[in-house]
Amino acid sequence: MAEPIVELDAVYKTYRQGNLEVRALRGLDLIVERGEFTALCGPSGSGKTTVLNLAGALDAPTRGRVLLEGVDLASLDRRARARRRRDRIGFVFQSYNLLPVLTAYENAELVLSLQNVPDAERRERVMGLLGEVGLAGLEDRRPAELSGGQQQRVAIARALAPDPAVVLADEPTANVDSETADQLLDLMEQLNRERAATFVFSTHDSRVMERARRIVHVVDGRVAKDERR
Amino acid sequence: MHPNLLSMARRNLWRNRRRTLITLSSIAFGTMLAVLMTAIGDSNWRRMIDLAARMGAGHVTVQNAAYQDSPTLGNSVVRAGEVAARARRDEDVTAVVQRISGAFMVSSAGRSYGAGFVAYAPEEEDVSTLSILEAVAEGEAPSHSHERGIVLGAGLAENLHAGLGRKVVFSLTDKHGEIVQEAARVTGIVRTGAPSVDGALALVPIGRMRDVLRYDRDESLQVAVFLEDQRHAARVAERLGGAIDGELGVLAWNEAQPELAGFIAMKVAGARFMEVVMLILIAAGIFNTLFVSVMERLREFGVLLAVGFSPGRLFALVMGESLWIGLFGLLAAAAVTAMPYWYLATRGVDMSGMMGGDTGGMEVAGVAITPMLYAAIEPSNLMAIAVAVLVATLLAGLYPAWRAGRVEPVDAIRIG
Repeated sequence: MAEPIVELDAVYKTYRQGNLEVRALRGLDLIVERGEFTALCGPSGSGKTTVLNLAGALDAPTRGRVLLEGVDLASLDRRARARRRRDRIGFVFQSYNLLPVLTAYENAELVLSLQNVPDAERRERVMGLLGEVGLAGLEDRRPAELSGGQQQRVAIARALAPDPAVVLADEPTANVDSETADQLLDLMEQLNRERAATFVFSTHDSRVMERARRIVHVVDGRVAKDERR
Repeated sequence: MHPNLLSMARRNLWRNRRRTLITLSSIAFGTMLAVLMTAIGDSNWRRMIDLAARMGAGHVTVQNAAYQDSPTLGNSVVRAGEVAARARRDEDVTAVVQRISGAFMVSSAGRSYGAGFVAYAPEEEDVSTLSILEAVAEGEAPSHSHERGIVLGAGLAENLHAGLGRKVVFSLTDKHGEIVQEAARVTGIVRTGAPSVDGALALVPIGRMRDVLRYDRDESLQVAVFLEDQRHAARVAERLGGAIDGELGVLAWNEAQPELAGFIAMKVAGARFMEVVMLILIAAGIFNTLFVSVMERLREFGVLLAVGFSPGRLFALVMGESLWIGLFGLLAAAAVTAMPYWYLATRGVDMSGMMGGDTGGMEVAGVAITPMLYAAIEPSNLMAIAVAVLVATLLAGLYPAWRAGRVEPVDAIRIG
C-alpha cells in the first residue's frame, strides 16, 4: 500500500479581504502519496494556491486537518512548522525566488546549511545535484548571471537538496519559454523517477498536465475530478 | 562553504549601493563631528585644568583640614616637608612644591591696592609648576627663596605706578593674627591677559614670606602635588589622604577649584547633549535605510521562511545588516576624521579673531582661556563614541529586524 505524504481531510479555508469573506476551500479532500507526480489544475481562484499553502505549512486551515507524513500541522508551533518546511518540504516558485546575493551553489546549499549538514557532505550533495540539473560549471554565478531556465534549475536543486518528502511547485514553467519548459519538465520527471521525489504542481500549463501521472481538478474549493494515468 | 548570516547580511547591504553609501556618509560625518567636538573639549579642559593647577595649588592640594572652611594663614601645614616627601613617592606624581598664598595690601608711594599673592620656592619651581612664570613680560622673577623681590601683575604694577626696581610695601596678618609689613623691590612684571591675574596678583619668594608670617622653616600653607595625568587626581588624593596626618585635608583639583570644575562639567554636559542629538540623527538615518530595505524584501523574507528560515534567524539577519552598517560607518568615520583630527591635533585653530584679540581677556575661575583650539581626545571617550554609534545602529535595527521576523510567509509569497 502506498504511503500518504500529504493529506487534506475535509479542509475549509476562508479568508477575509476587507469586508469580503472569500471561501477558498470548501471541504476539500486530497491525499498525495510518495513518488507521485501530481498536477493541480483549475481556473484562477479555484483554490490551487490555498492547497499548496496548506500542504506547505505556510498557512493553517479554518476547519479540517492537514497532515504531512502523518503529522497534523496544526499541532506544530511557528518554529516547529519552520523546521518541518526546512526538513521535509521543497518549494519551487513561479518566479524562482533565488537570493540575489548568493551564488547558484550557495542558493542550492541554503537549506542544507540551515540543517547544519557537515561541509563535505553538503558540498558533495549540492555539486551532485547541480550536475543533475545541468548546471555543472555555473555554480559560482549569481542569479542575475543566469537565464530564467537556469535559475529555475537552481530552485529545483535547492528544493531537492534536503531530500524532502514532497516538492511543491508553483507554476514552475510559467516564466520560461516552451523549450526551457520542456527541459524543466524532463528534469523533474527524471528526478521523480530516479530519486522517487514526490512532486505536486499547481499549473495552467497543458505540457505539465500532459506529463503528470495524476491530475487533480480543483473547482470552487473542492476536488472536481481526480485522474490517474 | 555557505556564507553564514553575517556574510549574507554584509552582501545584502550592497544591494542598494547608493542608499547604503548615503547612510554610511551620515554615520561617518556625524561621528566625525562628535569625535572632533569631544577631542577639542578634552584638549581644552585638560589644558585648563593643567593651567589652573600650575597657577594655583596643583592637581592635588594638601592643606590644613580647617583651611577649606576658614582660609586664614593660621591654618597651615606645619610639617609640609614630610607631606611633600610622601607625595613624591606616589607613582602618579611628577612634582611636589610648597606654597603659601593669600591676600595682602600692596602699597607704593601714595597708592595702595589689595591683591592676591603666591609665595613659591624660586630654586625649585619653573613654568611646569607655576605657569605664571612664563608670563613674566618685564624683568625677571626672584632667583632664591629669601630674596626681597616681588613680581607684580601688569595691571597691579600700573595701578601702583610701580615699575621695575621700584620699592613696594605689602602688609598682611601673620600666623598669629598680628599685622605685619615687609618691603620688597619689583623685579618683574607679568602679563597673562587674564584681568583678574594681571590686576591683582603678585609672586613672592616663599622663604621671605615664611619669615614675614612667622612660619617655621618647614611650614607652608599648602603642598601642591602635580600629576602626569589630571584624571588620576581623585585616586592620588585618596591614597595621600590615607597616608598622611588625619588633620590635613587632601583635595583633588575639582574640589579645590569647584568653579572651574562646575564650568567644565557644564560644558561637557552640553557637548554630551549635542552628541546624543547627533546619535539620534544617525540612528534615524539607519532606521530609515533598514526599514525601507526590509519592506522592499518582504517577499524574499517569505521565501526564506518557506525554505526553513526561522523568524529568529530573519531577525538576526537584519540585525547583522545593522551591525555591518555600524562597523562600515565607523570605518568611514575613521577615514573622514583622520585628516581634520591630525590638523587640529598638530596645528590647532586660532580663535583669537572670534575672541577679540589674543585672548579677549576671557577667563574662567581666574584661568585665562587660550585662543588656540587643539584636538586631543581621551581614548576612553573615543571608545565611548564608537560604542555609542554601534549601539545606536543596533537599536535602530531592532524594529526593522522584528518586522522581518513577523512576516507571514503566506502573505509574502503567492503560490499558485
